[in-house]
Amino acid sequence: MTPEPAWRLPPRWVLLVAVVLIGFAEVGGASMARFKVELTRWARDAMLARPEVHGLVGVRDVDERVLDEALVKFDAGLRLFHMHAEGMGLVIVATTTVAATLGGAGRGLMVALLTAGGAGYPLGYLLWSGLIPYYGVEPGKRMAEWLVWIPFGGATILALWWLAGLVALRMARR
Amino acid sequence: MIRSGAVRRPPLLVVLVALVVIALGETAGAAMSQLRGPIQRYAAARVDANRVAHGLSGSAEYDDEIRGQAVFLAEAGLSFFHTHAEGVGLTLFFAATLVASVVPGRRARGVLYGLLTAGGLFPLGYLVYGAGVLEWGRDTGVEFAERYVLTALGSAAIAGLLGLAAALVAARRRG
Repeated sequence: MTPEPAWRLPPRWVLLVAVVLIGFAEVGGASMARFKVELTRWARDAMLARPEVHGLVGVRDVDERVLDEALVKFDAGLRLFHMHAEGMGLVIVATTTVAATLGGAGRGLMVALLTAGGAGYPLGYLLWSGLIPYYGVEPGKRMAEWLVWIPFGGATILALWWLAGLVALRMARR
Repeated sequence: MIRSGAVRRPPLLVVLVALVVIALGETAGAAMSQLRGPIQRYAAARVDANRVAHGLSGSAEYDDEIRGQAVFLAEAGLSFFHTHAEGVGLTLFFAATLVASVVPGRRARGVLYGLLTAGGLFPLGYLVYGAGVLEWGRDTGVEFAERYVLTALGSAAIAGLLGLAAALVAARRRG
């Protein structure tokens, strides 16, 4: 039997970031369940305090529908943070392990991009939820996109394709 | 008894498939967010181009409803692709690493790598699902993707994971 070559672990700080991210995701999921009423009440009060931001007109039938729609998005942002943080924590562990083992000379930068991108991206959903009561659904989404999703998601996508290209090159050279 | 040993790396082809599937999943997520309008317009145009397959009648109200349903299913296919690619790519990576580390015998490892790698391609079935709905109509597209792609690749993944579980049990018995 010919044993396969061994994996090299990524730096410990990378593993720490991944574990902390997964931990945040778990805490986020638990908090969503435990503090659902408090979170909803806080978001609703913050929206009622800014009627012009949310287009509230003072007519109960109209305003309740607007508030409900915004609260659904507020809740969706929290849920998406929970799911993406769990997934991206694992993506960081897997992809930085490959980068540490097969990344060649650029592996330091690749590990940094994968870790920063993977850890930062899910926080965009938390930011979006936090911005909704103050700026509205769509403006909040645009801010989260430009501040978090595009830079951090872009870093992850760039590093992943770079790494896949390197592995393909290694295979082609054999 | 706890024994430690090197965590071994699967063959490069398996690693490459796992990475590409995860990367495609991430890229699809970004595309869904940034290109939602163009994707919806493209999907609607494909429905119009395949009028017979979709049973468009020329009645605007009816056709709009059919078009809307088809576009919704195509977007759902892309969304399922995004979520499954991230999860299944990771499953392939970790399961293949376990195979490399604990399964003795080159042939047994080769079979498990083959099954798990085929299973790693499972999310592509959702791209076929989305494209099939647009090109061949809702029922035919969904049936084709489920019967010929999702079931086949999903079965390979399940067989690979069961094989790995059996290998772990056998390794434990050997002590």
